[in-house]
Amino acid sequence: MTPNETHGNLARILLLLGRLALAAIFLFAAYAKLKPQAAMPWSGSSVKTSLSLFAMQVDSYQLLPPQLVSPAAHFLPPFELLLGLWLLSGVLVRYASFITALLLGAFFAVMVRTYMAGLEINCGCFGPGERLGPLTLLRDGSLLALALAVTIGAFVQGRKSRELSTPTAVATPQRAD
Amino acid sequence: MKIIALQSSLANTRPIVLRSPCFLAWGVFASLPLCFCAFVAILLASPGSANQLTPGGIPELARSPTAHSGTTRRCVANISRYNVRSNSMLRRIELSSGSHRFLVRGMTSRAQWAAAILTALVFLVPASPAQTTTPTSAKTAAPAHKRAAADTTAPTAPVKTIGNRNAPITMEVFSDYQCPSCGNFFENTLRAMIQDYVAQGKVYLVHHDFPLQMHTYSGQAARWANAAGMIGQFQDVDAALFDNQAKWTADGDLEKYVAGVLSPANFKRVQGILKGCTAAPATSKADRSVPQADPGCPVDPYIVQDIVLGYQVPVQATPTFIIRYKGQSYPASSGIITWPILKQFFDTLLSQ
Repeated sequence: MTPNETHGNLARILLLLGRLALAAIFLFAAYAKLKPQAAMPWSGSSVKTSLSLFAMQVDSYQLLPPQLVSPAAHFLPPFELLLGLWLLSGVLVRYASFITALLLGAFFAVMVRTYMAGLEINCGCFGPGERLGPLTLLRDGSLLALALAVTIGAFVQGRKSRELSTPTAVATPQRAD
Repeated sequence: MKIIALQSSLANTRPIVLRSPCFLAWGVFASLPLCFCAFVAILLASPGSANQLTPGGIPELARSPTAHSGTTRRCVANISRYNVRSNSMLRRIELSSGSHRFLVRGMTSRAQWAAAILTALVFLVPASPAQTTTPTSAKTAAPAHKRAAADTTAPTAPVKTIGNRNAPITMEVFSDYQCPSCGNFFENTLRAMIQDYVAQGKVYLVHHDFPLQMHTYSGQAARWANAAGMIGQFQDVDAALFDNQAKWTADGDLEKYVAGVLSPANFKRVQGILKGCTAAPATSKADRSVPQADPGCPVDPYIVQDIVLGYQVPVQATPTFIIRYKGQSYPASSGIITWPILKQFFDTLLSQ
């Protein structure tokens, strides 16, 4: 095995691990937001209550007008769930990781803005009860860095795959000619 | 107060002249129906009756034992783990979960019984020969009754709740009167909630004081609010303090705004309650140590109680609130939540 091949295998493994880590984080985030609160069993009603509770956390950021808070709160957890499943599936990883990085970038920007504004609120990142502070910023910043790394890695990997496949595809007709 | 005033008027207008033991027996017998009426009146005015402002605040956390189970551990089990042995101050205010519940409930029932017995004694005392032998002595007894009436203004637990305690939803708010976010939250959310869901009996609002050390006047504001709560005027003073937050924050003149919403008599009573408050007011500490209550200040122990409860939630910023429904507590939320969103959450709970 050449050093290039070893390097390529390591990059693929790291990319896989990063993608799985992001998938797990997003699936957990969705679960934490949707799970029933106050010892309620899983049901449509309990999930609705959890989403209403999440809407209060979204509202506390004082970013969206009240009429948009509820739609945003009802959209985000299912979207995180779908994104987690998409990352897990490994289909079109480049686009999945790019959307993940965009979403995490938006979250991070909102959190930094809120923290700098001095609002003492709950983060709402992984369900209720977690205060927005330097540690949450550090964590989300790290996640953003990971998502960016996975996105870049996925694009690089995709380009390499294309480069490897393209000459073969081109050479065959040349030989045939 | 009313009972003693009634007794005072009875003593003045119907002096009983006792000339033989038969009159003493007659006096005892005649006072029994009055005692019974007084007892019933006290029971009706007690916290158990619906549609009344009730002594809430701290006791409300212990109101429903079922509220402290399951996933409510986050804010409640911490209280049950509370170690009172480590702190003499806490021992003094007896805030461990078991003793707290016992203390609160015991105080309520004992206070009712004590009030009933005292009322009965007050009715019986004028029937004794020493005080009711002549109309002249009845006249001289009046100042004594006034003194007794004045004494009743002293410490009873402040009522810092708004609404019907039997409302399906209870919302407990930890607030600092000088905190701008708390003022904003009160003006834009709680005021609308009080006029809407609290008035409709859907929500029971419980105020807890959590004055922050960083605010110069918040401790003193909490004292005024608690003193007003002791005479049943909490809601007016609470609103006045938030309404004029920017003004008294600038000059510290809280008295002016409290006086503005109370009758002169009630303002004097509140002033009387705070007369002994000479030391610096209790505020929450950054290191979460229990603040020292001014021994001469009857409201400080209640503020310290609120602060200690806040530590257990834990309150990390104000305003922080906890919502309880059907005996279950939902995780504490911080910051300003607009009324439409909060109302939506209440509606979701009520539709379960």
